Amino acid sequence: MKAAVAMIAGAAGSFDAWVRGPVDPRPLAWFRCWFGLLTLVNLALLWPDMPMWLGDDGVLPPDVHRLRITDTRLSIYLVTGSGDLAIALIRGLGLAGGLGLVLGVCPRAAAACVWAAAVSYSWRNMNILHSGDSLIRIGSFFLIFARSDGCLSLPRAVRRRRRPAADDASRMSAAAPCLERVPAWPQRILQLQLCVLYLVAGIWKLTGPTWRDGTAVGMVLQLGEFQRFPIPDFFLTPPMSQVLSYATLAFELGFPLLIWVPRLRMPLLLAGLVFHAGLDWVMNVQLFQWLITSYYLLWLEPERRDGKDGAAVAAKPGR
Amino acid sequence: MKPTPSDRTQHGIARRVAAHWPTLLVAAYTLAAFSWTMPESLFPPKRWIDPLAAGPFLRLGLWQAWDMFSPDPRTTDICLEVEWNDRDGTRGAWMVTDMVSMGYVERWRKDRWRKYGNDHLRLDDERDLWQPFAEFAVRRLRAEGRDPAAIALVRWWRPCEPQVSPRLRADVRRTPWQSYVFHRWRVPPGWDG
Repeated sequence: MKAAVAMIAGAAGSFDAWVRGPVDPRPLAWFRCWFGLLTLVNLALLWPDMPMWLGDDGVLPPDVHRLRITDTRLSIYLVTGSGDLAIALIRGLGLAGGLGLVLGVCPRAAAACVWAAAVSYSWRNMNILHSGDSLIRIGSFFLIFARSDGCLSLPRAVRRRRRPAADDASRMSAAAPCLERVPAWPQRILQLQLCVLYLVAGIWKLTGPTWRDGTAVGMVLQLGEFQRFPIPDFFLTPPMSQVLSYATLAFELGFPLLIWVPRLRMPLLLAGLVFHAGLDWVMNVQLFQWLITSYYLLWLEPERRDGKDGAAVAAKPGR
Repeated sequence: MKPTPSDRTQHGIARRVAAHWPTLLVAAYTLAAFSWTMPESLFPPKRWIDPLAAGPFLRLGLWQAWDMFSPDPRTTDICLEVEWNDRDGTRGAWMVTDMVSMGYVERWRKDRWRKYGNDHLRLDDERDLWQPFAEFAVRRLRAEGRDPAAIALVRWWRPCEPQVSPRLRADVRRTPWQSYVFHRWRVPPGWDG
């Protein structure tokens, strides 16, 4: 009994240290930048059809929408009501926010803009959403609380250029501009979100007979509406369907466990990249594969590659 | 008044909780996200956790679902069509979500059309979307210079189970399709939608 209590206390302590210990700023900055670019692509894809999906004269007039969603959710429609102003604001916020994230200009405010745009179009027409929209809402929400401008930031680069490198100390800081550690919890929550996503997706699939007998992927590949680029015929045979169905289950259920093993982390992330690149080639699901793999950046450990376990990163925690 | 030992204990606990708030937040969010997305049959605590999570998840846009192609993928291909009769007697049709006939870029750009048409609009449970879509179609046709007198929404489907041979994959026209008109609307003369 005592041993079990000690083990639980030890695990809780390790988890606490993992969440609260400050981290290298680079993964969050890489994620912010790439994620921001993807939100801009998403906006560009949505832009021409916004009046149709979100407008008063579109496919879902406000009176029908009000009958379908009765609860209150935060969105700019609370301020603007329905109408063209809301669409203009969604476009403006999405554009400003996406650019801010890419460039690292006021990244917290930029994340808030992207989040406001995403929750607004999501609320106004839920029937056009795919899983990538959930990743945009969640990612932008937690970036609001993250210090993600530790590097890859335009204002930081400009400040560095303007700062006179008079002495060695300032030259040193100019050479190592992104090494102040930042609070970890927003990064941790997004890392765990990715684990939850894979685990739940795998569990859901396990409940389906076609995933258990290995015919599921074969069926998906036969759906014309999802088809994208051509694939060799042998991918469409029953044995390959079994291989691909079981590989999907193994990856989705294995990822949340194996990602914690440091030696397996990079191979697992590379396998995930291949997995999602394959899905993106075969299936037409817009940006989902790109968005989910953007979360992989949060699992990278540049300190390990630096060699001396963080020697290049200042021990001083960020505020 | 001096604090009692019980007050001191409570303050101590509050201080410790406050010091560890990020850990508690991360753990609570992870549990809530897991519960929200799990099937209830496999995670019974869902019935207690989800009501607590619903407020923040729905209001803040953190709601999510990760059940794509599960428990089983759909076994039919779907396509949505709008048919119309103009007042001068001409007829026409617009295949709204015929993804296979689109080029690669158009297919990618219009993925949300597929989502709307094939996953929602065609369903009987979503019948409150039908008339607004018919009205939207009339507005769109009028913008193209037509004068539709009647609109019909048609769902097309073809079974793709059991698996057809690999060579038929990209040519969904070679397998038999069935159709059903699920909504008709005679546009009133002078309707200015």
